[in-house]
Amino acid sequence: MYSQIRVYYPYISPFDPCPPIRVKTYQVNPQLFIGFQPENLPQFSPMEALRLGTLWPALYSPYSGRGDQEGLEG
Amino acid sequence: MNSANQPGDKRYYELLEQLQAIDFVLVELNLYLDTHPTDSNALEQFNQQAEQRWAIAQEFESLYGPLLNFGHSYSGYPWQWNNVPWPWQV
Repeated sequence: MYSQIRVYYPYISPFDPCPPIRVKTYQVNPQLFIGFQPENLPQFSPMEALRLGTLWPALYSPYSGRGDQEGLEG
Repeated sequence: MNSANQPGDKRYYELLEQLQAIDFVLVELNLYLDTHPTDSNALEQFNQQAEQRWAIAQEFESLYGPLLNFGHSYSGYPWQWNNVPWPWQV
């Protein structure tokens, strides 16, 4: 299962007024790659679906914070 | 409402959690069926889940009183709608 987080490295100028953010992340969720959802995809059980936020594992997309701000995680 | 079950006991939360899970599945299937009207398996599952949801709601309401008001649920005697626990106490 490939990771759903990708990173990019913004340009950091010597004249930047604030401390640089060297690495920024963005989410690449499954629905970007699925397009029109096919029929009869495998499903979670109701209890699992309620906790994971989707009925179909193929569309499951966990999010645990941007990772660049401590204390704002999750 | 028999005396064995009091609102807030184990069975109360069990039924509510099952109801919540089935409602979520119904929401997902409903949205899915909006864009896939010809998917017979999903439609069959939706109807089964709706039936199962009705059964669970019936059991809950027979034990603990109405889930919904304004005529969407029955009430026992005396009127149970404004009994404790209130939603934020659940």
